[in-house]
Amino acid sequence: MKVDILHQPESAIAKIDMAPQEELTAEAGAMVSMSGHMNVNTTLRKGKGGGVFGGLKRMLAGESLFLSVFRSGEQPAEIYLAPKLMGDILPYQIDQHELVIQSTGYLASTPGVDLDLGFQGLKSVFSGESIFWLTASGSGLVLLSAFGGIYEIKVDGEYIVDTGHIVAFEKTLSFSITKAGSSWVGAFLGGEGLVCRFQGQGRLFCQTHNPGAFGRLIGSKLPPR
Amino acid sequence: MKYEIRYKPAFATVFLTLNPGDRLTAEAGAMASMAAPLSMQTEFSGGLIPGLLKKFLGGESLFVNVFTNETQQPLELVLTQSTVGDVGLIELQGNEICFQPGAYIAHTPGVQMGVQWAGFSSWFAGEGLFKLRLSGRGLVFFGAYGGLSQRRVNGDFTVDTGHLVAYEPGIQMNIRLASGLIGSVTSGEGLVNRLTGQGTVYLQSRSTDGLVRFLRSKLR
Repeated sequence: MKVDILHQPESAIAKIDMAPQEELTAEAGAMVSMSGHMNVNTTLRKGKGGGVFGGLKRMLAGESLFLSVFRSGEQPAEIYLAPKLMGDILPYQIDQHELVIQSTGYLASTPGVDLDLGFQGLKSVFSGESIFWLTASGSGLVLLSAFGGIYEIKVDGEYIVDTGHIVAFEKTLSFSITKAGSSWVGAFLGGEGLVCRFQGQGRLFCQTHNPGAFGRLIGSKLPPR
Repeated sequence: MKYEIRYKPAFATVFLTLNPGDRLTAEAGAMASMAAPLSMQTEFSGGLIPGLLKKFLGGESLFVNVFTNETQQPLELVLTQSTVGDVGLIELQGNEICFQPGAYIAHTPGVQMGVQWAGFSSWFAGEGLFKLRLSGRGLVFFGAYGGLSQRRVNGDFTVDTGHLVAYEPGIQMNIRLASGLIGSVTSGEGLVNRLTGQGTVYLQSRSTDGLVRFLRSKLR
């Protein structure tokens, strides 16, 4: 499999050349074009267990992800994948570190990568925002997408990110949800609200723009549905 | 303080390194990420009364965040804006600049934040009675939706209201219909802003009003 990212950074699109008998998983709706003989299956991936209440909660939170599985079959095949928003795509090679991905940051992955929905550590605090998290493990390639450019921070010590700017981070980093400044009053009045404080060592991927902030700016001027 | 504007022009983002003792004031919500030891304090923008004027009569936020490096090592700070587009930089040397709502991102110490009376015509155009005015000496970062164009106005110049980002206070604004009542409605130009006087203006190549009008027609 060969991955090329074209038209970076503002209109990035992934061109993937697949050998015979290869497989690729992608977010449903990400396919732009593909070879005619490609075999496609769409599946619904749901978050892992957690009892009746856990299941109910996830249903209400809409925590599920439609994934399309593309198989090349007998011949080589070609596919183009693109996210919905303007922005960059970043290939990330998973080996020993697990990667936590903000759900809209996931574009595609190779078969050796296991996706696990409903990473519990982060989601409950983002009330009002329908973001959830998935954990990618195993080995293979993950394509990440962002609103805007993607910049990498090699965290060594402590680093703070506004929650709307997180794309993905290695699970070797521990994190806590906290306020950015010194006072709680300031945290909310100052517009930064809650931020994510990462600790330890690992790679962190941020997006230059916040889809929620752009959505609120434009959405507040649109008539209610 | 060191700074670099990366991902120009579509996703311009300001990457700053604050040296020990450096301070920077930024629009509420502009921080994307930062080194954890950097201290952040929320203040009224330009004091309580100007802050209130800006919030309720100028369409700006009431608060700003002040970032200070109180440690002994350089610390990183990343600032951005809510729209996609370019970020511009003005070095004030005793002169002044006024911003349309939403354009301001950050400024260095030595720059004062205040309000400028914008007039009732600005109020009627939905852009507030007061505009944010920055004066003094230092750097000011501001953002645009789309690309940024700088133009020197000498006398008389007409801009679409949604495309004006910043202007020097020597310029007066007169908001009026583009070409008579019927012509304005049919041509889609609506209100335009006739600028008079001397000074520099900054224009953005897209307007959020235009995007909103486009999306509004697609909603059902």
